[in-house]
Amino acid sequence: MNAAITPPRDGFTIRLAMLLGLGLALAVCVGLAAGHDWASPARLLAALTGDGSLDSRLITDWRLPRVLAAAFVGALLGIGGCLFQGLFRNPLAEPYLLGSAGGAAVGATVALLVPLGMPQAVTLPVLAFCGAWSATVMVLLIGRVSGVVDAAGLLLAGVAVAAILGALRSFLMLALSDESISLQVVLSWMLGGIQTPGTAGLAALAVLTGACLLLALTTARGLDLLGLGEDMARSFGLDVKGFIAVTILVGSAVVAVAVAFGGLVAFIGLAAPHLGRSLVGPRHRPLILASALIGAIAVVLADALARAALPPAEIPLGLITALAGGPFFLVLLARRLRP
Amino acid sequence: MTGLVVHKLTVMRAGRPILDDVSFTCPGQGLVGLLGPNGAGKSTLARLLAGQPEAHAGAIRIGEEDVTALAAARRAAMIGYMPQAFTPHWDISPRMLVEMGAARRPDLPPGIVRSALSEAGLDGHGDRLWSTLSGGEKARALFAAVTVADPAVLVVDEPGASLDIGHRIRLMGRLAARGRTRLVVAVLHDIELATAWCDRLLVMDEGRLVAVDTAGAVVRSGVLATVFGVAFETMVSGGVTIARPVCGRD
Repeated sequence: MNAAITPPRDGFTIRLAMLLGLGLALAVCVGLAAGHDWASPARLLAALTGDGSLDSRLITDWRLPRVLAAAFVGALLGIGGCLFQGLFRNPLAEPYLLGSAGGAAVGATVALLVPLGMPQAVTLPVLAFCGAWSATVMVLLIGRVSGVVDAAGLLLAGVAVAAILGALRSFLMLALSDESISLQVVLSWMLGGIQTPGTAGLAALAVLTGACLLLALTTARGLDLLGLGEDMARSFGLDVKGFIAVTILVGSAVVAVAVAFGGLVAFIGLAAPHLGRSLVGPRHRPLILASALIGAIAVVLADALARAALPPAEIPLGLITALAGGPFFLVLLARRLRP
Repeated sequence: MTGLVVHKLTVMRAGRPILDDVSFTCPGQGLVGLLGPNGAGKSTLARLLAGQPEAHAGAIRIGEEDVTALAAARRAAMIGYMPQAFTPHWDISPRMLVEMGAARRPDLPPGIVRSALSEAGLDGHGDRLWSTLSGGEKARALFAAVTVADPAVLVVDEPGASLDIGHRIRLMGRLAARGRTRLVVAVLHDIELATAWCDRLLVMDEGRLVAVDTAGAVVRSGVLATVFGVAFETMVSGGVTIARPVCGRD
């Protein structure tokens, strides 16, 4: 580690906030321009100033909501990654790898395929939340019971839980589907993909993202303390048990919203906090904010690529993030496991 | 705060007593050394004194307060704890650590973090990363973070284990200095340093407390030789009776 020459990194400076904000704005512009025909900057400007042409309507009515949804989902994934890494005190923890996203997906599959007599807008997030929560608790319990605390062991437990949940999800899809339900819809959602939301959906996503961010920020001090180890955290005044229980709830809510609106998107929750830490340091308040912005930028760009790479087909978003994020994860893992 | 009272403290693990009916009292100030061979129950006692969770029977009171029933925030302001090993999971700086230690008392004056770092000899090192600090710097940063809130009781578990002799002596000096106004309970392995610096000694063996007295009285009683199975020679230096193990090379 060449940390000796690393300058002090502590906090979310105004310059950095502006830089990340600018990055997000640029990414949104790229997202708006991307599609199976690329919009020129002039056309983008015309559309955003509202000239009302059919071309512009395509951008403002179709692409803009989707790009914004991608930004929100990305922010949620970044926040979720932060919470999980802080909770597991492990830079390799990630909702997707630890089975939490898989649990949310099982819940969502049930909501999509089983008529529960309630509107799907209610059952989907609620069941996704229950799934995410139980999967996370399960991994933590396995870790605690088996005494596993190191990165590799916890990840193995997470991978096993994720595999079981994946199989369960496939089984549910086969067992529950009939002619009235298009498996194609469920499948494409599962591979990760931002749907183009309506106004109400987008508003709901915006409100939920804001709420998740605020909730996540309330855990920042506790996550900082937890990073000192449970004994030190306790001696500095943290009610460790209660805090972990609450943070699992918050993390599961974040993951559930992200999965409900964006399907299974891998590795953003791993990479965003990692990059964030190198920009703002290990304190969780600035880290959560930075990770949200980085996650948003990453998913907006990945979604743009998903729409523009192979027109007229659309590549599932989860495929792109896995292809880009997988190697990133392997490098981190190799570094971590090296004695 | 009028002192520490431990009453009939017992901890069982797998049917075996880790602490066996331990009772003692300490005044509200002084450096108290907790000695004993490996497995005597020192760390378990230290954890309980610091309010860490251990299933137990019996009571620990500081003044009128029941330590095990204290709310987390109140306990944090009242008791400082330096565990045997401390490795933060993230690469934090000494300043961040001391800030977290200071945050447990909302009434601390501004600038306290800087002066605590400076007192710990970490001027200009406050923003370095943990992974780049030496063992001595880590120990001083942790000590600063634990003591910045000026807790009435400080519990320290083998503070010098990974330090060289110079750092170990300077740390004993800091603990003794705190002991002039506050209560410091320190698990110690170095008998020579313990007898040289501590006001009182608690000696444990197989979960039982076998001696509680002033350091000089404990040294003269010969209990150390019985408990450790090693002969000790004593010397008097500056009015303090110091015990030193006889190494058996003659």
